[in-house]
Amino acid sequence: MKRNYTGCAICDSTWGNVWAEVEGERLFFCCDICVTQFRRLVDRVKRETGWTSLDALDITGDRRGRTCVAASGRESLRFFIAFTPQGEIRSFGRLTG
Amino acid sequence: MTSCPACLRPLGQADLLALAEHLGDEAEASEPAHVRWLNQNLTRKKVPAAELLPGLERVYDLGSGTLKEWIKARFISKFFGPVPHPFVTALQHPSRATLLGYVVEHQHFLRQWVRSCAYIMARTDEPKVILYELDNLTTEYGGPGPGRVAHYELLLRMGESLGVDRSRVLTTPPLPSTREGVEGWNDIATRQHWVAALAAMHSLELIANRNLVQDGASVHYFDPSILSGSEIPDAAKNFLREGYEADVTHSDEALDLVTEFGSRPDLREEVQSTFLRSIDLFDDYLLARLERAAEFEA
Repeated sequence: MKRNYTGCAICDSTWGNVWAEVEGERLFFCCDICVTQFRRLVDRVKRETGWTSLDALDITGDRRGRTCVAASGRESLRFFIAFTPQGEIRSFGRLTG
Repeated sequence: MTSCPACLRPLGQADLLALAEHLGDEAEASEPAHVRWLNQNLTRKKVPAAELLPGLERVYDLGSGTLKEWIKARFISKFFGPVPHPFVTALQHPSRATLLGYVVEHQHFLRQWVRSCAYIMARTDEPKVILYELDNLTTEYGGPGPGRVAHYELLLRMGESLGVDRSRVLTTPPLPSTREGVEGWNDIATRQHWVAALAAMHSLELIANRNLVQDGASVHYFDPSILSGSEIPDAAKNFLREGYEADVTHSDEALDLVTEFGSRPDLREEVQSTFLRSIDLFDDYLLARLERAAEFEA
């Protein structure tokens, strides 16, 4: 999966040392909560779109909420997502434009 | 005593380097609260402990101000910055669901509030702190007297005005973030110095302090116009108005006491770290109100 972050896959932090396999790829995370967030994000995008996999994910924002663009093949989805402190999805919405 | 703002572990007298090393060690172990504190307060880029020191010195530095001013500035920055906390945004013109999320989670908060304030009273020798807490508990929980009910009762009445019986409110278990907050504030009240507990608890009343806008807050806790229109039920206005009127005095008086008793060099950093821990717990707890609100959305 092509990503814009080089640190933690969800927040880009380089603290911590957690490695987890998501979508067949071993990714770096700063903590277990970010692993949960990332997995919930990927599952939600797949459920929303019907895609079987994600080719790219671009994330901006912070803990208050993140604006993301996911892509699979020639399709893309722009969305807002925010999480609970435990890493579950608190808010999700498709964005246009 | 310097203590960790993520776990409150004591680390030595005025020893910010020990704090830097502790934060680095815990982050290396991927401990979420420590990683979060570093990410949100210092840097998301992993650096050696010694390089964290200047940032920590900036965080804990009072500059030319008082402990009260330092607490207010950090509280405003966290909850009332250019992008306010999501619950503050939702409460500007609250939906029925937002108010009900508030009711269901806040009754757990207020029950812990009584315990925390009682611990402060039990552990201080300062008569003016005891008198302050007695007055606060009367307003928040006991009830100020005939014709005036406690904030806790006003909260339950707000829920009833929105169609949720108090028996349902009182039997609903807290969401995880509320439970973690209640446990965290109980630990603070029982284990930290009473001045640190005083700062941790009563700084939270800044949330409804309507004068914070004069100190740089981007918005009030809620748009004051909702107290005069027909947007929310009278019982909700009564609950919100009580906090709006009481919390200026509650928070200002308490923070004056914190400044008076907590500015000693051997105590100040414990007070600061305990306050920082408390506002992280509060940030998560406010999100729990929104999480609960989602259950009431049509």
